[in-house]
Amino acid sequence: MIVEWIAGIGSLTLSQLSNVGRASLILIQAIVGRTNAGVHWRLTIDQIYVVGVLSLSIIIVSGLFIGMVLGLQGYTILTDYGSEQALGQMVALSLTRELGPVVTALLFAGRAGSALTAEIGLMKATEQLASLEMIGIDPLRRVVAPRFWAGVISLPILSLIFVSIGCLGGALIGVSWLGVDSGSFWANMQASVEFSDDILNGIIKSVVFAVVVTWIAVYQGYDLVPTSEGISRATTKTVVHASLAVLCLDFFLTAVMFGEI
Amino acid sequence: MEIREVVFRRDQRVIYDGLTASIPRGKITAIVGPSGTGKTTLLRLISGQLNPEAGDICVDGLSVPLLTRVELFDLRRRMGMLFQSGALFTELSVFENVAFPLRVHTDLDEELIRFVVMMKLEAVGLRGALDLTPSELSGGMQRRVALARAIVLDPEMIMYDEPFVGQDPIGLGVLLSLVKRLNQALGLTSLVVSHDLQETLSIADHVIMIANTRVAFEGSPQDMQLSEDLLVQQFLYGRPDGPVHFHFPASPIEDAL
Repeated sequence: MIVEWIAGIGSLTLSQLSNVGRASLILIQAIVGRTNAGVHWRLTIDQIYVVGVLSLSIIIVSGLFIGMVLGLQGYTILTDYGSEQALGQMVALSLTRELGPVVTALLFAGRAGSALTAEIGLMKATEQLASLEMIGIDPLRRVVAPRFWAGVISLPILSLIFVSIGCLGGALIGVSWLGVDSGSFWANMQASVEFSDDILNGIIKSVVFAVVVTWIAVYQGYDLVPTSEGISRATTKTVVHASLAVLCLDFFLTAVMFGEI
Repeated sequence: MEIREVVFRRDQRVIYDGLTASIPRGKITAIVGPSGTGKTTLLRLISGQLNPEAGDICVDGLSVPLLTRVELFDLRRRMGMLFQSGALFTELSVFENVAFPLRVHTDLDEELIRFVVMMKLEAVGLRGALDLTPSELSGGMQRRVALARAIVLDPEMIMYDEPFVGQDPIGLGVLLSLVKRLNQALGLTSLVVSHDLQETLSIADHVIMIANTRVAFEGSPQDMQLSEDLLVQQFLYGRPDGPVHFHFPASPIEDAL
């Protein structure tokens, strides 16, 4: 019984390590090696439109509502301590340090990550990837690499947009609706948000999340079993694994950046 | 092209157990055999999409399993392959699908690309469909477009995986003639995997029959017709009983029920 249990853990560990190894190999082969820079850049721009620009609406709407909720909740709590003037500071720091990078990454995994997995998976199922190989084109360079770089470039920009819109949402509720002084709101925000400590760390978090989420998405698409069930499972895995990875990494990054470890 | 003592399995199922065959340059070689014996797998091994567990596959003096990724892609530029499903790029039009290899691998100007693509589409009878997308074509037409794409770079070697499936008698006749003419005009080495036995044998110079994990017959179509081997006879005349098992390996039905 115990031996079987240990064997099960061993087998699971080996399988997970093998997945990580395969995913690393796919990523390295995709982004390292000879390439036609002009074509590669054009393909990446196309993908930035697909994964980045087309994700804008969900990011803007979510950012606005999360900023509004922060404004409302923050006002209710801060009023108890007579500190509602610090609402701008609270909204901005919450968004730049945590909610901006994390929520954008989670939304990105759900919207663009799953789409990337499904698209690459369908190309595999319909032998389009094999067909590229037979034409003498490496699908990792042609299909995977542009999508990977598009994700890495798009997510931090989406995160900055999310934070900006969130701040406006907070101001809309705090200043326009609940009557917090506009000067205090914006002045406190300006005084408390440091570029290097807050904005830069938020961007670093976003870049890390972008690499992880896009990597998981392209790997799941490239490595899936090419059937309808395989595509469905891989798409689900992308969202679940990417979301968990973002939340775990966020803890460690926060500990390093703000926890004075 | 030499295939030597190749061993290959999918999970626990042995597909090849010491498969040895040779494919002559500049000829049409038909690869035939019962369903599930690994005919398409052989094409994938030759093109390096799969790697054998043991044995060697030599193409033009190069050992395919030992090639680096870059060397393999260089070799594939000299090959063409027609996939069973066609495998056209769904977001591109018929014209762009055929033009794709030219755009990637050559510096031809747009006018010349258009000329070459039109010639290839004319050869497969689909010049009039150049603006359609693959989803607007029937399965047989998709395979004809895929054939035009496979030959657009004038490869030295071409592999056809079930090229005649879904073709009406007219399309079938045209394709048979096209495969034969391409082979003669360009001196291609052609490999044709097909279940349309009589049609394939009518254009083939060389036949490799795969059954029960090995090469069951290798020689000319005429020798195959004259062969008294029970396995060859069973396959040629479609007999249900014989050395080739119709049923996938399983326990007796009495045990299963």
